[in-house]
Amino acid sequence: MQSTLSKHVAATLARCGTFAALAGLALVVQAQPAGIAPEAQRLLKASTDFLAKQQQFSAETRNTLEVVLKSGQKIEFNHQARMSAQRPNKLRAERTGDLVNQLFVYDGKTLTLHNPQDKAYAQVAAPDTLEAMLEFARTKLDIVAPAGDLLNKNAYDILMDGVTDGFVVGKAVIEGVRCDHLAFRAPHVDLQMWIQEGAQPLPRRMVITTRDLVNAPQFAVTMTKWNLQPKFNAQTFSFNPPVGATKVDFLPR
Amino acid sequence: MTRSKILKALLVAAAMPLLYLADASPDAAPGLTLLREAQAIVGAPLTPVSVAGVARRTTARTVVAAETAATSATAQQQAATAQQQQATAQQQAATAQQQSATAQQQAAAARPAGAPAVGTVVNTLPAGCKPETRSGVEYQNCGGVYYRSAFQGNNLVYVVQ
Repeated sequence: MQSTLSKHVAATLARCGTFAALAGLALVVQAQPAGIAPEAQRLLKASTDFLAKQQQFSAETRNTLEVVLKSGQKIEFNHQARMSAQRPNKLRAERTGDLVNQLFVYDGKTLTLHNPQDKAYAQVAAPDTLEAMLEFARTKLDIVAPAGDLLNKNAYDILMDGVTDGFVVGKAVIEGVRCDHLAFRAPHVDLQMWIQEGAQPLPRRMVITTRDLVNAPQFAVTMTKWNLQPKFNAQTFSFNPPVGATKVDFLPR
Repeated sequence: MTRSKILKALLVAAAMPLLYLADASPDAAPGLTLLREAQAIVGAPLTPVSVAGVARRTTARTVVAAETAATSATAQQQAATAQQQQATAQQQAATAQQQSATAQQQAAAARPAGAPAVGTVVNTLPAGCKPETRSGVEYQNCGGVYYRSAFQGNNLVYVVQ
């Protein structure tokens, strides 16, 4: 299918006498088969299954979030995050950056959100699995873990929900790691994933493009460091309020 | 939730940008001010940071659009919860008043005529606030208007007491 399209595009370009150097670009833009390519599905599923099998892992990430101002101007905000997870029910995430300096701790029973700079934290009883906790945080508290989809054992189903088109863009290198670059299209968003080649198909980068917002802002996360044999201790998933920190409430949604 | 209530909620939401912009404290970080402005776009939520978030966002919109004049059990529950919370807050306020009649009088006397309504949520405190603990609860006294911090989603906000 792709080769047919390519031939067609090449023939068209040749007929029009278009400058040959443009041909490569035109192919990338136009050679997008309809439907979901099985190979794209397979590569994504291999990655989500691999991560679902890991009992404990940690990662460092770099996030960029685009926000569209009322004028239409796009502004980018940057964060770094460090995430530690232990299945079935432990998570710690620390984010620092332009907008937020925040610690998120889930010990299997309680979810804590702590803003060290504001000296404020809130705690609430949470469901007893990582998946149920993420769902609870999202639907009841409006707390969305950036790229939290990937932590879910059912990440594949979440990512592919409503997807109508998908294909393998090609090979790419993210942070020095060779990856397969995948592109998917759902009703409101476009999703791109970069999956590490080889025996450890870890997600290395994810970009969500929101098509139904003006100027289609993007959220991008690059996983800079993965550790599948992390050393956790008793403090990793517990929260002890620092001296002077005030306990506040979560406002109901 | 009745149709008129939904309409009212939408009107309140539509009025929010003005509030947000009026709130913009001059000494707030420029990034935060920009974000507030961006948040103020009515009907345009922030850029989703998760695919599941997109689904939820869509669902929420659909629910609002599909809701009829028939009161939903959830809305009633929420209202009941809100009332309970309000009652609790009133009790707390009453206790605080009893315990600190002087402070209450001062607050009443100092509360400016144009003070924001109780329950108003703001992203940034006005200038010149002082922390004040009443009955073990920490408030910010901002020229006689008391604010209490809370998390609204990931964001730390301030609720007018």
